[in-house]
Amino acid sequence: MKKVKINIEGMHCASCAANIERSLRKVPGVKEANVSLVGKKCFVEVDERVPEEELKKAVARAGYKTLSIEG
Amino acid sequence: MRNMQNNRIPKMDHKDHDHSKPAEDSEIRDWKKKLIGSWIFAVPIAILMVYMRILNGIIISDNISIIILLILGFPVVFVFGFSTLKSGLRGLFTFYFNMDSLIALGTLIAYTTGILTFFMEISDYSGVSAMIMAIFVTGKYIEAKARGRASQEIKKLLELGAKNARVERDGKEIEIPISEVVVGDILIIKPGEKIPTDGIVVKGESAVDESMVTGESLPIDKAKGSNVIGATINQDGILYVKASKIGKDTFLAHIIELVEEAQGTKVPIQKTADYITSIFVPSILVVAILTFFGWWYFNGEIGRAIGVAISVLVIACPCALGLAVPIALTVGSGMGAKKGILIRKGEAIQTMKEIKYVVFDKTGTITKGKPEVRQIYSKVRESYLLEIAGSLEKLSEHPLSKAIVNKAGLKRYKPVKSFKILRGRGVEGKIGSKNIVIGNSSLMKEKSISLKGLEKNIEEFEDSGYTAVIISENKKVLGIIGIADAVKEDSRKAISILNYAGYKTVIITGDNERTAKAIAKEVGIKEVIANVLPEDKAKKVMELQRRGFVAFIGDGINDAPALKQSNVGIAMGTGTDIAIEAGDLVLARGSLMGVVGAINLSKATFSKIKQNLFWAFAYNVIAIPLAVAGVLHPIIAEIAMAASSITVVSNANLLRRKRI
Repeated sequence: MKKVKINIEGMHCASCAANIERSLRKVPGVKEANVSLVGKKCFVEVDERVPEEELKKAVARAGYKTLSIEG
Repeated sequence: MRNMQNNRIPKMDHKDHDHSKPAEDSEIRDWKKKLIGSWIFAVPIAILMVYMRILNGIIISDNISIIILLILGFPVVFVFGFSTLKSGLRGLFTFYFNMDSLIALGTLIAYTTGILTFFMEISDYSGVSAMIMAIFVTGKYIEAKARGRASQEIKKLLELGAKNARVERDGKEIEIPISEVVVGDILIIKPGEKIPTDGIVVKGESAVDESMVTGESLPIDKAKGSNVIGATINQDGILYVKASKIGKDTFLAHIIELVEEAQGTKVPIQKTADYITSIFVPSILVVAILTFFGWWYFNGEIGRAIGVAISVLVIACPCALGLAVPIALTVGSGMGAKKGILIRKGEAIQTMKEIKYVVFDKTGTITKGKPEVRQIYSKVRESYLLEIAGSLEKLSEHPLSKAIVNKAGLKRYKPVKSFKILRGRGVEGKIGSKNIVIGNSSLMKEKSISLKGLEKNIEEFEDSGYTAVIISENKKVLGIIGIADAVKEDSRKAISILNYAGYKTVIITGDNERTAKAIAKEVGIKEVIANVLPEDKAKKVMELQRRGFVAFIGDGINDAPALKQSNVGIAMGTGTDIAIEAGDLVLARGSLMGVVGAINLSKATFSKIKQNLFWAFAYNVIAIPLAVAGVLHPIIAEIAMAASSITVVSNANLLRRKRI
């Protein structure tokens, strides 16, 4: 398990935060996803084997853009 | 190679930090552009709508008015509202519904009615559609600004770091960007300048203002060997500092990380709100559809039914609910960070109000953690006593040993043979042919060394809060050294505030009962748990928890299990290091006043959270039924919606008025 920080663009309401969390938690290997709406970031606890691409895709599925992922 | 790597990490970091600021501003700027643009068209629309009501199609026919409304409304809904429509419709089709879905649906339906008027008998809401979008954009702009204010302290932290550093390279002073500083560089800091990064003073003397990172208001004296923190301000002397930490490893970077991460944690009370937020938008869609059919069926007028349904769509606001907790947490954690109080887990601020016992570790928490010799009782020449004691203790790393060595201040140590450390009790060894045993009473008993006639002296020492160290030579006691760890300046004040507030204060220590009680009395603590081995602290906390919720305050280094066991663990920093992993709350500075601040801050933040949740719930519970009942015009509904989320954010900002 590792912790990563995803910087996200396009969040502007509380439902957005809930959507991103929901979408990320569906990714196999993601244990926890907590969005900071104010900080426009998501803190994710994820298995090392999950590629960053998967996380980006999950954010995109919910309708938002990943700016960067910091390990 | 190694240097290059070191170089690269902080560089990226730096760039990221710079990014975060314009991102926030660009959001506000973006909404502002939309706001101005949409009102340029919305104002004439509003005038025309009022005009249509009053003159009822006398000068211009209604058909022409509607065409004008549709033309004026188009840019508002489809140009300035484009991003909202896009995100909202996308949400509808992917089942990731959001706030925009409601607004998109509401405005699109309203705009369509305008077109439909040419084909069928229906009320025109095209003007309303533009008004809704314009008000929505305005609300978003105000909210974005208020949100920016809410995180202003954190933004300030991000900007706190130094940009440049003056270093010595090849004997020359040069100024380089902070990202190029490597560990081991000698930094030169002139009076009034910012210390570029964490390090150790190698030359020079000065006072340093550390208030921006630790909350300590008085400047701290620094001399050779002192630790300094990056981003603090050098006051009056020139300091030569050897960089010890850079980039992500610095004190400031750790603080920022703590504060940012805390915002991603949840407060338990938020659970219900989060659940409602997640089902909110689809539920409102269902309610709106039912409202439409209900009105159509009972009222018969399709135009009216559409109007009411639009009101329902646009009045519902998940934002107030979803923002209620995080926005208050943001303001609270920012306020704390400014004072060196770092909230690590949102849960802690909710638990804090249940706390009954405040348990303090003694060494390093109530006391300074630097024991000193206070009193000596010697049967022989004092210098002889210290010479023997100093020579033996020199070989031990124990804090008490260090105190004796410091006091003895020997230039030459006597050679010691067969030296042994007797864990938790003392030391023994041979100087020449003499057997020396130094330690506590139980060690003397163990070695059958008689303490007869000394009981009184020992008691006297312990009653003063000193640890009594007995020195013996060939089974005969030579003297006793009383060692005490000075209490921090404001421990007494902080504890008396806590006592007054009704908390039960407890001290936990490995000292014996008598010494512990003396210190407890000095600082005003009521309950003493003495003779506790370090590994048993967590167990003692667990025992106390049977009587009520416990907050444990420790230095976070050897107290980690107790910090974790307690309901709220408060880890104390030493001023240059912060114990990150152990506490729920972390104090950057070692003062117990920080504990008082942390408790006050938690309580104030939590009560703000409750207030916000109450308003957000109340708003939706009252507003949605009113909209369903058809009492509210869609424009009024939209104004109410915008007002509700602005209220929640502004109310959170009011937290700043509280003194902590």
